[in-house]
Amino acid sequence: MKLRFSTTSPYVRKVSVTAIELGLDGRIERVATNTMDPKSDHGADNPLGKVPALITDDGERLYDSPVICEYLDSLAEGPKLFPPAGAERWRALRRQALADGILDAAILRMLETRRRPEALRWDGWVRLQSGKIAKALDQLEREADGLDGPLTIGEIAVGCALGYLDFRFAEDGWRATRPQLAAWYDGFAKRPSMQQTVPREPA
Amino acid sequence: MKLRYSPTSPYVRKVAVAALETGLDGRIERIETDVWNPETDIAEDNPLGKVPALVTDEGMVLCDSPTICDYLDSLHDGPRLVPAEGPGRWQVLNLHALANGIMDAAVARVVEVRARPEDKRFDGWLQRQTLKIGRALDALESRAAAGGLDGPVTLGTITLGCALGYLDLRFSEDAWRDGRPALAAWYEAFSQRPSMQATVPPG
Repeated sequence: MKLRFSTTSPYVRKVSVTAIELGLDGRIERVATNTMDPKSDHGADNPLGKVPALITDDGERLYDSPVICEYLDSLAEGPKLFPPAGAERWRALRRQALADGILDAAILRMLETRRRPEALRWDGWVRLQSGKIAKALDQLEREADGLDGPLTIGEIAVGCALGYLDFRFAEDGWRATRPQLAAWYDGFAKRPSMQQTVPREPA
Repeated sequence: MKLRYSPTSPYVRKVAVAALETGLDGRIERIETDVWNPETDIAEDNPLGKVPALVTDEGMVLCDSPTICDYLDSLHDGPRLVPAEGPGRWQVLNLHALANGIMDAAVARVVEVRARPEDKRFDGWLQRQTLKIGRALDALESRAAAGGLDGPVTLGTITLGCALGYLDLRFSEDAWRDGRPALAAWYEAFSQRPSMQATVPPG
């Protein structure tokens, strides 16, 4: 398998953490890809120009992190990160969607404050995205005691979302009013899969 | 079940078409929600402030369209919109991701123009989204020409139908059919389905 990646994408991190947790990391060849580079050849593998993109051994191209993670889960033996059915499945997928929603808002905020020409930046947009992030974090704080069960894609996504907030928006101080979520993340971030995938700016 | 919806959201339409195709429509109560109204109470159900959001009979809130469709697919005995396993599952989810990416880029274009003050709009952003849509449509034209969109209705083809319908609604001036005859012919037939006819967005 071949994975298009960048070292800062939190969606890529979800895939990497998933691969490590499943013991599949060694089967994945990595291709560094800068999606903002107009000369990137990435469009051939993903017309949407996003990472992560996984090219399977069968030549199938998979484009978004929930699909890639579920595909990896289908290749591995052992406990499933995507529970096959029932309340556990919806709990895991719901949590992943909440965490991915935090990431979507955080990425929009990052694009606004880093990539957009300065004169065209708009505080209203930053406030809108920050509000979504805060409300979703409050929701996670309320359900933090549920994060300690068997590992699923939900917790992996939450861990990667919180890690991204620390990476890009440490000044928000998300822990201040969310002690239970902070305590959970403190433990979760020590997993080898999280330690090996800490985001960093490209050299 | 309770569905938070807006009449023009392509993600909501995807859920509505999926509900009709699986015979579940009658079990869903609808609550119209304008997420752009400053007084909106959407955050009570979805902290991310987005529609669709589905409140299940057990009181669980599912807050993104892939998860909602996956959930609906688990409630009926007919042919699955997403095959439970095997290569077919990844093909369907991949088509879904590509079509959903078109929606994401198209909605980003709409939001750039509708939600932002005029002097804060960024042509570079609009061009980037338009490019993604064009490349994804080209990839889909190849697939349509090779017969890759034929066969039973799936979450992939539903999402594609809703994405193309949204382009017609918001960007008819783009004339996406030009140069894409196979995709246009596929959509012409698909949009005749009763589920598509019953969910045409108000112009």
